[in-house]
Amino acid sequence: MAAPMELRCWGGDWDLPSVDPECLIVLAYAKFAGADLTVKPIDWTWKTITATVPELRSDGSTVTEPTKILNFMRKQRFNADYELSAKQGADTMAYIALLEEKLRPALLHTFWVDAENYADLTRPWFASRSPFPLNFFVPSCLASAGLSRLLLTKAESPLCGVKEVEGKIYSDAKECLNLLSHRLGSSHYFFGSMPTSLDAFVFGYVAPLHKAPFPSSRLQQHLKQLANLCHFCNTVLKTFFEEGSPPPAQETVDANLQKLTQLVNKESILIEKMDDNLRSSPQHRPHRKNHKVSAGSSERNSTPA
Amino acid sequence: MSLAAEAFVSQIAAAEPWPENATLYQPLNGKNHFFMLISCHVSYVPIMSQAYLKMCGLPVHLCCRANAEYMSPSGKVPFIHVGNQVVSELGPIVQFTKAKGHSLSDGLDDVQRAEMKAYMELVNNMLLTAELYIQWCDNATAAEITRPRYSSPYSWPLNYILAYQKQWEVRRKMNAIGWAGKSLEQVYEDVSQCCQALSQRLGTQPYFFNKQPTELDALVFGHLFTILTTRLTNDELGERVKSFTNLLSFCRRIEQNYFEEQDRDSQSGASSRHSKGPSLM
Repeated sequence: MAAPMELRCWGGDWDLPSVDPECLIVLAYAKFAGADLTVKPIDWTWKTITATVPELRSDGSTVTEPTKILNFMRKQRFNADYELSAKQGADTMAYIALLEEKLRPALLHTFWVDAENYADLTRPWFASRSPFPLNFFVPSCLASAGLSRLLLTKAESPLCGVKEVEGKIYSDAKECLNLLSHRLGSSHYFFGSMPTSLDAFVFGYVAPLHKAPFPSSRLQQHLKQLANLCHFCNTVLKTFFEEGSPPPAQETVDANLQKLTQLVNKESILIEKMDDNLRSSPQHRPHRKNHKVSAGSSERNSTPA
Repeated sequence: MSLAAEAFVSQIAAAEPWPENATLYQPLNGKNHFFMLISCHVSYVPIMSQAYLKMCGLPVHLCCRANAEYMSPSGKVPFIHVGNQVVSELGPIVQFTKAKGHSLSDGLDDVQRAEMKAYMELVNNMLLTAELYIQWCDNATAAEITRPRYSSPYSWPLNYILAYQKQWEVRRKMNAIGWAGKSLEQVYEDVSQCCQALSQRLGTQPYFFNKQPTELDALVFGHLFTILTTRLTNDELGERVKSFTNLLSFCRRIEQNYFEEQDRDSQSGASSRHSKGPSLM
């Protein structure tokens, strides 16, 4: 069994297990993969200014940043992407890059740079969760880090202000949300019926935007028009994060058994196809009865595989 | 460009068809200057834009000028001069051609368009950042190749000041996005992963979205061509990309289909020094 894992993250509010997008990604992935995490919120501790969250501790080693934490969990055999094909894995990488380039700057701006949101929502929340005297420093530290990241990555020259890039950031983010909505369509999760790491990333970035009570946000209004994304967030919250709900079908199946089941399924699909081909080919029509028998026996032969 | 200006340009662009005398301007292709472009991380953009315009089937003349950067409205190369409008950078050029009615991604449905945009971001995120890192944050490459090239057109002391300023800017940006702590090996690993994702998406198809090339093909071609034809202190990056055979044949195919005709057409013009530039063959 894997060593016990402990996650340090920001606490939760507004129906969410955590208000920080990166922490949400890790929490969601842990639920999807069936990993048992002890969650230790850093609220009201001095870690609010010293630690980089999210931070995973296991067996003496420490890992930060969502991508590295997810890789670490995969190595511990908590893999929610097991059933994805190679192309779907490539798609996951591409969509995660899209989220980070287009949606994350707008999230940073909405939470930390937009004056009204910062004064009415973000600063009071983070200040109330930090011990005295840190409550004076923590929000402004995080805000200046967010602003400098925005300017360095989005502004064309070091002398550009934030106003010039605001319009572009928000139009990029709206386009990104539209693209995600098109990709999700009407299915429950992005790849079939089980959630994967892409679902964790989308949930981590979209859920705070959906649930946080902003005084005014055009991005949040845009998101509310995309019904399938809102439904996706609510589904994930209800299925995985509600108190007392049993984790659905996340039994830790042996990896070999899963692989075997996949192989047998693929073989039986191939055999069915062969069957159909043989039945529809013209020269074999007179011998149809013989073929049915032989097809039936070949199926029987494959099951003990 | 602000959003209002972009919309205005699109409206004007939609009014007239594509003229015959459109020109693409880029800086000189002399031995020194071609490599200088790479340190401004825009060398792949001229090739990308050319590839894109050729894929649309739009005739465009190539013109190399030393002061191309100053002629451009936004300071970035390349830019195209079409009719009485000047448009710079790949993104606006794509929108401009769309407004004229030529678009490569019309045949895609919404889901495919989402995929295309996602892959374009992946390429921008990974390959572009890796290229910048290797040129400016790796001390050996920066000292031997990048700084001398970047400062070559300027005289002392401007060359020192500009080169170090650019390096400082790039390192700050790497710090902000978390790449500062990465080692060169990890960067090569990231590039390999990105190429693997692209290779898996491409599979055995001729282009990323089966039979027709799109902006994504032009973008990937631009980046991979630059990586494969640039000389650096060591060839590991080029070798890693070459290990993905379908990506290599993809680049060769685009070069053959779209750039060989230009070689044949413009044997006499001095502006076609690009044809004598690096090639994959």
